[in-house]
Amino acid sequence: MLRMQNLSKVYRTHMIETHALRGFEIHVKQGEFVTVTGPSGSGKTSFLNIAGLLEEFTDGEFILDGVNVKGMNDNARSRLRNEKLGFIFQGFNLIPDLSLFDNVDVPLRYRGFNSAERRERIEDALAKVGLASRMKHYPAELSGGQQQRVAIARALAGSPKLLLADEPTGNLDTQMARGVMELLEEINAQGTTILMVTHDPELALRSPRNVHIIDGQVSDLVHKGPSLVAGQHKAGSNAATA
Amino acid sequence: MLRYYFMLGLRSLRRNPALTALMVLTLAIGVAASVSTLTILHVMSGNPLPHKNGRMFVPLLDNGPLAGYTPGEELRDNQVSYRDAVNFQNSKMGERRSVMYSIAGTIEPQNKNLDPFGLQGIAAYRDFFPMFETPFLYGQPWSEADDTAGADVIVLSRKLAEKLYGNSNPVGQRMSLMGFQFQVTGVLDTWDPVPRIHNIASGGAFGSEDGYFIPFTSAIRHQVTNDGHMSCSGDREPGYQGTLDSECTWLQFWFEMASDGQRGELQNYLDSYAQEQRKLGRLKRNAPNQLFSISEWLQYLHVVGNDNKLSAWLAFGFLALCLVNTIGLLLAKFSVRASEVGIRRALGAARADIFRQFLIETTVIGLVGGVLGLLLAFGALALIGMQSKQLTVAAHMDWVMLTMTFVISVAAAILAGLLPTWRACQVTPAIQLKSQ
Repeated sequence: MLRMQNLSKVYRTHMIETHALRGFEIHVKQGEFVTVTGPSGSGKTSFLNIAGLLEEFTDGEFILDGVNVKGMNDNARSRLRNEKLGFIFQGFNLIPDLSLFDNVDVPLRYRGFNSAERRERIEDALAKVGLASRMKHYPAELSGGQQQRVAIARALAGSPKLLLADEPTGNLDTQMARGVMELLEEINAQGTTILMVTHDPELALRSPRNVHIIDGQVSDLVHKGPSLVAGQHKAGSNAATA
Repeated sequence: MLRYYFMLGLRSLRRNPALTALMVLTLAIGVAASVSTLTILHVMSGNPLPHKNGRMFVPLLDNGPLAGYTPGEELRDNQVSYRDAVNFQNSKMGERRSVMYSIAGTIEPQNKNLDPFGLQGIAAYRDFFPMFETPFLYGQPWSEADDTAGADVIVLSRKLAEKLYGNSNPVGQRMSLMGFQFQVTGVLDTWDPVPRIHNIASGGAFGSEDGYFIPFTSAIRHQVTNDGHMSCSGDREPGYQGTLDSECTWLQFWFEMASDGQRGELQNYLDSYAQEQRKLGRLKRNAPNQLFSISEWLQYLHVVGNDNKLSAWLAFGFLALCLVNTIGLLLAKFSVRASEVGIRRALGAARADIFRQFLIETTVIGLVGGVLGLLLAFGALALIGMQSKQLTVAAHMDWVMLTMTFVISVAAAILAGLLPTWRACQVTPAIQLKSQ
């Protein structure tokens, strides 16, 4: 699904160079649920941004679902992002003056689906996260947990192959966080690959595979058995290269 | 997608009503100022017969005395003498031709409830009507035979016909003008060209409708005096005949050629005519003989003054100032939307998509500004119209200016939106998404 080889990311100012990622190598297979942990400044976010085609990398190779993204122009990267990726952020990142329906509609508009197909996908996605009855509501009328569910619905509506989550439970209380995590596991069980950055060791332990990043490199790989949600992962999905 | 962006644009107007109102108002004021001055300029410099610009001409000769003349001196006159006008009229040059002058006389209505009243009119040849494409409500122009005979026939303006005869057709009726009985041959429908190209030199470019038209030959036969300007630089004998025999210029003349491209032919005629007159001891100055097309005539007579042009420049300067303000307001409006741009980019929008969305949003602002600008322009024109009678005629908006208002408004909004939109496209999504 995702392969990075000898990838580097350098931030340059006229004074200094900062190596966010160096010699970074990772291979995530289709259907895996991978948590990414590491201390602040280790390169987790840079990795996630590059994986999400939101930032360009300096050197190396990055293959996303069989597509080499190196040198792609903005239009091609945006199209690839829209077709293959879904995003969930810590801050939910819903557009406040759009209803839940219209928020979920955003990526589908860029995809070029017709009106009927968009409606069907939006209703399905909101039903999947238990908010079908509130599609005319606005984000401010929802709790944090519900907003994150809308963000998940938005990410799922386009049927992405890879879901990128950046501390999706970071702004939620324990109960809401558990609910969101269960939802992500359910989505993963249905075949969507998930890459989740988290600071929460409990969540990291809960995933079948945890990648630890230190100083811009994958320093540790934790291979575990099947997910805590029993029987939802294939044993082969844990194979990884770093 | 355009419809989607348009809907987003409309929604965005509601997002920050105060800022939106300020932008729309700024744009509207700038547009209203420029459109209202442009309207006046447009109407003033407008050619009511643009399709005849290449074939209708005013001839001018220099009838002044030799004394005090410096060769190469610019011609200051704008009318012709009686002798030249009659010769031009008899020349058979062109498809149509007509001499004309402003007259004024007292009308004594048959209806005893109406008191006698004075009114201005025009004395011309029958060619005047088809040449200036005057619309007829009833009847027709008088005949060529009437021109030849100097018959007492008359064409009324609609306003005068309604005043004298109500809504009935007065063709064939007789009426008293200047103490003579004239027979009505026709009634014009409303005809009020702006500027009044047919009578600029004598009656002014902007003024009230002509009340009636009688044959030039009839006016001369009745010794009807000129009610417009007259320029006399030489000697003249006293009396009406003295004026006719003099080199005083007080008549306007128009030729209409059969087609465009016959200007040279008319110029040749004018030059040989002047040569012939010089041999007869007239036209002593040997100055160039001039022909003016309609647009050249408007320019020659300075129908659009320099102060009007300056006003237009100032108004556009004001619009530029409004644009700079709008740019600032749009920058503020779009900068708070950086997070939305980040989200949209993450969800698959390319920079080009963001550019289109924001540009359409500014177009929506431009359209709303255009509507408001139009209302303000109507108000401004009404105010300008109150300043003078001349401006009242000029200060009205037509379809061209209505369209122009929207074009200026949308173009101004798009122009103002380019920098803020470009900056919005430069948002780094990763930073925005993390900072939310």
